[in-house]
Amino acid sequence: MSARTHKLINEPGNIVDEMLEGFCAAYSDIVQLGGDRLVLRAQPKALGKVGLVMGGGSGHEPAMLGWVGRGLLDVNIVGEVFTAPGPERILAGIRAADRGAGVLLCVSHHEGDRLNAELALEFCEAEGSDKVDMVILYDDVSSAPKGRESERRGTAGLFFVWKLLGAFCEGDVTLEAAKALAEKARDNTRSLAMSLSSCASPVTGEVMFKLAEGDMEIGMGLHGEVGMGRQKALSADETVDLMLPPIIDDLPFQAGDEALVLLNNSGSMTLMELFILYRRVAVKLREAGIRVYKSWIGPYATTLETAGFAISLCRVDDQLKALWDAPANGAYMKQV
Amino acid sequence: MMTIGPAELAAMIEAVAQRVSIEREALNRLDAALGDGDHGTSISAAFTAAIEAIAALDQPSASDIWLAAAKALMNRMGGASGAIFGSFFLKGVAVIRGKDRLNKRDMDAVLTAGLQGVQTRGKAQVGDKTMVDALAPAVAAFARTDDFTAGWRCAAEAAGDGADSTRELIARRGRAKYLGERGSGHIDPGAMTIAILFAAIDDWWTGKA
Repeated sequence: MSARTHKLINEPGNIVDEMLEGFCAAYSDIVQLGGDRLVLRAQPKALGKVGLVMGGGSGHEPAMLGWVGRGLLDVNIVGEVFTAPGPERILAGIRAADRGAGVLLCVSHHEGDRLNAELALEFCEAEGSDKVDMVILYDDVSSAPKGRESERRGTAGLFFVWKLLGAFCEGDVTLEAAKALAEKARDNTRSLAMSLSSCASPVTGEVMFKLAEGDMEIGMGLHGEVGMGRQKALSADETVDLMLPPIIDDLPFQAGDEALVLLNNSGSMTLMELFILYRRVAVKLREAGIRVYKSWIGPYATTLETAGFAISLCRVDDQLKALWDAPANGAYMKQV
Repeated sequence: MMTIGPAELAAMIEAVAQRVSIEREALNRLDAALGDGDHGTSISAAFTAAIEAIAALDQPSASDIWLAAAKALMNRMGGASGAIFGSFFLKGVAVIRGKDRLNKRDMDAVLTAGLQGVQTRGKAQVGDKTMVDALAPAVAAFARTDDFTAGWRCAAEAAGDGADSTRELIARRGRAKYLGERGSGHIDPGAMTIAILFAAIDDWWTGKA
């Protein structure tokens, strides 16, 4: 399956700014556009609460724009396509999120995101600001083996962390507690993705990588980095049967556990396919004795128009269940 | 002995920007094999931003120019490349600070500090298939010479050889490491950028000297 190289854009150099202008115009009751490509809450959080900032490259919409809002993130710093924003923009985001109780910078684990976050924190230290910390988030089981979890990439499963952490930071909590909660959510989350096609860069018009028609690749980062290997594409049930065990065995999720489940559309899968895939996921989880607390199916963290999906599971206890059910109002995450 | 002052540093960065702009599509093609295919576009835009930032400075010192380049690369480019290329210039700033003009030994120290900045930030060693494979030999070759003319010439040759050496390597850092053996057979775009940078400086110096 080939990537769609013709995109309905204007000047390639303006895509990020024009996308942000459109997004913030569409959801002006929830978000507002700040300078430095910051997406801010329309109504800032109350003073005295821990601020949550997340930076990241664009091309993954609605992540993370759609998670700015009440009960979720305070600020999203948006970079070029698949490119982390630089330290100056991250610093601007940290300042915008500061409500007097410290700011937690959430970093989806990719080299560019981590390096620029480290630079931004070094600049914060140099300015004498000590109420800023960062947490590195990762979930992709294909990018490093068990025991080396901290080398793994951040992918679709961070969906759970943003919601849980966002709900937590609406309360009167400390920066240290917020970081610990982020780590707890992360450490209970595992994901694995697969792909049937590549995507084309809107900047260069070139296909990002080549995948032959009829082949699939299991284990895929959010930028089309290749993972566990290629093989002939299988049926929906066979694909799920191949992907679920490495996720379940990694944590491991055990009989009696309760989990949040996400089937994330990487871009151009049909909902029909995703529902057929979920049917099998539900069957296999039931067989394993894992209870589904809530499930979500849709395009939440995309890779442009890639045809593919990820399965993400997050083990939840009473604390995490309560946080999941707490109110949230982002453009792409609502909880009433 | 010849020295380099603020005007020459600005001209040097402009020479690099022009060459990177000419090589933009070639760098994009190299990056398409290993990354997301926009390295040429983003580094060219960053060097253009650096020239604009430098042009906007009022009577800049030598270190002002290096700092402007560092900031433009980090903030205009973003990503791992922006952080790492930016660190090359940022670490040189402290070495330059307080000096009106740089002699050959000063420039040795600036380049050496820059290499350390790159390695501290990116954690890459020679052989990891990164820009370090071109930068480390270039800095070493430069430091072995006694004057700028021989220095830039030897650095450009060493950087070119270093970039070529990445073709058969398997990446151990950055996004390309997830490609494993599939990344072998392609020159690392970061290493090629370093080769282009030193080639541009060598040509600029030769044309000037």
